[in-house]
Amino acid sequence: MIEVTGSLKRRLAVWLLSTVTGLGALLMLEAWVSTHRAAERAFDSQLEAAALTIAEAVQWQAGEPLVEVPAAALQILATRHQERVFYAVLDAYGEAVSTNMPFTLQPEWRARVADAPSALTTDFDGTSWRLYGREYDSAGWVSQEPVQVWVGHTRVGRQALGDELFERTLSRFLAMVLLAGILMAMALRVALGPMRRLRRQLRHRNADDMGPLDARVPEEMRELAQTLDHLFARQRHSREALLRFTADASHQLKTPLAGLKSTSELALKSQDPADWQAALLAVHDGADRTSRLASQLLSLARLRHIGEEGKVAPLDIVAVLRESVLDWAGREVARDHDLGLAELPVGPLWVRAEGWAIRELLGNLIDNALRYTKAGSEITLGLCQQRETVSLYVEDDGPGVPFEARERLLQPFERGGRQDTDGSGLGLAIVDSIARRLGGRLSLSERSPHGLIVTLHLPLVDHQCDQNATRLDDPDATREAPP
Amino acid sequence: MIPLRRRFAWMLLLPLCALTISARAQVTPLVVEAALDHDVVAPLLEAFRRAHPEIDLEFHDRSTLTVDALVSEADPAPDVVISSAMPWQMARVNEGYAQRLDSPAARSWPAWAKWRDEVFGFTFEPIVMAYRLDLSKHMMPPQTHADLHTLLTTEQTQLRGKVTTYSPLKSGVGYTLFQQDARYTPRFWDLVAGMGRVNASLEANTRSMLEGLSDGRYWLGYNLLGSYAMVWAQEHPEVIVQVPQDYSLVMMRMAFIHRDAPHPGAAATFVDFLLGREGQRVLAGQTPLFSVRPDVVGPYTAARLRDQVGEQLYPIPLNASLLAFVDPQRRKAFLARWRREFERSRKVSSEP
Repeated sequence: MIEVTGSLKRRLAVWLLSTVTGLGALLMLEAWVSTHRAAERAFDSQLEAAALTIAEAVQWQAGEPLVEVPAAALQILATRHQERVFYAVLDAYGEAVSTNMPFTLQPEWRARVADAPSALTTDFDGTSWRLYGREYDSAGWVSQEPVQVWVGHTRVGRQALGDELFERTLSRFLAMVLLAGILMAMALRVALGPMRRLRRQLRHRNADDMGPLDARVPEEMRELAQTLDHLFARQRHSREALLRFTADASHQLKTPLAGLKSTSELALKSQDPADWQAALLAVHDGADRTSRLASQLLSLARLRHIGEEGKVAPLDIVAVLRESVLDWAGREVARDHDLGLAELPVGPLWVRAEGWAIRELLGNLIDNALRYTKAGSEITLGLCQQRETVSLYVEDDGPGVPFEARERLLQPFERGGRQDTDGSGLGLAIVDSIARRLGGRLSLSERSPHGLIVTLHLPLVDHQCDQNATRLDDPDATREAPP
Repeated sequence: MIPLRRRFAWMLLLPLCALTISARAQVTPLVVEAALDHDVVAPLLEAFRRAHPEIDLEFHDRSTLTVDALVSEADPAPDVVISSAMPWQMARVNEGYAQRLDSPAARSWPAWAKWRDEVFGFTFEPIVMAYRLDLSKHMMPPQTHADLHTLLTTEQTQLRGKVTTYSPLKSGVGYTLFQQDARYTPRFWDLVAGMGRVNASLEANTRSMLEGLSDGRYWLGYNLLGSYAMVWAQEHPEVIVQVPQDYSLVMMRMAFIHRDAPHPGAAATFVDFLLGREGQRVLAGQTPLFSVRPDVVGPYTAARLRDQVGEQLYPIPLNASLLAFVDPQRRKAFLARWRREFERSRKVSSEP
């Protein structure tokens, strides 16, 4: 199922946007502070100039400082923003020699200015003011005392300049972000080009074209392309296997059907009821075999196409094995063989498997052993417990299978080069399918001096852990896995 | 007719008035404290009353120093303050006694005639010399400051007691004019010394100087308000007005709305009217106060004055530098020097 979780473009855009917004906010905060600081500095220097101009005009007369405030100083203070202005000239005792407004200059400000010129921001008359104070040494004939010159103005111009500078910075930044966004979108378009090309190629592909991809992709998409190639290859193989299986199955079914047809034709030509009788028997046998073949084909097809269906309950393989062998030993077909059990481990061994699957598997193995060995052969089933796995084996002392034929045995319709039996060649293929389904592995080995051992390796499970859960989930599990 | 119409309006308003407090409450009072001759400005006030019958305008004509004192002391505060004492007006605005006027007329007002959009110079009054016809019988009447200085030096005896000018101590306008004169040239002090030599009479206002000229007490007046002098000269042919040919100062009446104006709405309407096309039209046509607006036509406009007397008009700049004039120490020093120069020459001249 394909679930579309947002678009790459949007995700990138969101990332870009949030990063830019976050960083931008910080940047703009910094810009705001620095532009306003720059504006303060620019205007403070005007305060400084005005203070200097006023200080120039201070003169001593009869032991008193005298100042004729220069008009220019006031114009400097007012700036082109027409600020309200303040000035004061204080004598050494903090008394105003000359001032234009009843500003209260705090003693600590005066003390600070006595050390070094300084500027400060304060509120007066409901307005924010910037004041600058500076102490000048001055001397007359009678007294030699320092005077403090204080100047100040309202802060409209500073704010206007700061805002103006900030606005300029802001607009430049926004233009940059916009440009970056456009470039990003274009880059994205270019970068996603190979993806679009691949998509177009896939869309235009023939439905049954399983050949490898022929596309130029960037490094980042190599894995995707390779995975697609693997997928195509697997599909190709499974399709081929399916076709082969269908062809084989048709062929296998055709042979007995042709036999039936010829037998019945011969019988129809004959007038002898005895021939009819024999033909009917032959037809009966043939139908039996065909029906068995068909049922095996069916179960193989079913096994191969059954999907994983949830969690399978643990099963005691010892009990199932014992039960199956007892069942088979009592059958007519096993009358001529020595079917037996090796010594089984004590106590249950738990594997994750369905009962029917194990029974089918055992049935096929036993049936094979019975079919492909001479009467009187010995067939032994047993269990070997390893650390994490359990091995279920079926051994016989029949003629065995040559090494080179063993691998092929697991393919459908393979009889290990034997044409002398009426087996369909599907048994081991079914067993193999079941083994794969159970997460196990099938191995064939030689028994000395002769004979074949078929071993199924299955992983063991720790039954104690999920016994309770199993009981709650699946009432059948208790029946199949008695404690 | 008028009472009838008024009654009709009354009947229309009656239902509304019943809902509000009373009919009288419909009229907003407006108090204007001004250093501006009522006679001169009467047409403007009349025009305002006609345009805004809903405002009950109360106009007080006072001296510049009284107006200045009222700004901080009057309770309740006046709504609008008008004065020709530019530095004092400026100082009050700087102290925060004015409030901003935000109107189209205020915004388009020339920048050189306003400050902070709070105070507006709404007239354009040249400062002139005036002389009596008698003077021209005895000597060449002065056309420039230099001419005046020469006359004061060469015609000492004839001019003794016949010259008048502002008293810098008693008149804020006079003080401002002298300060501005002194800013332009240091030779101004020679002029003051010359005034002292002829024992010039110091008057507190232009009207007294004009009366003296008409009476024959004075032959020559220096630094008179052109606005008053020109009107006077029209009615008194013996008085000739001379706009100085070297430079002529221009004084502006400054108006602002008081920060604590009890009727800020009416005050804004009034100042807006002063600056507006209609107010300035009346100013240019019916008063000698001269309109500042370049788009107003009339006998009394700044543009027309420039056409008549040339480019030597120097308006007293309406900016923070005016504040220096009201600095007490600077004022004291200036007045001290003025007195020194004035007295010294008088002693020198009376010694022989």
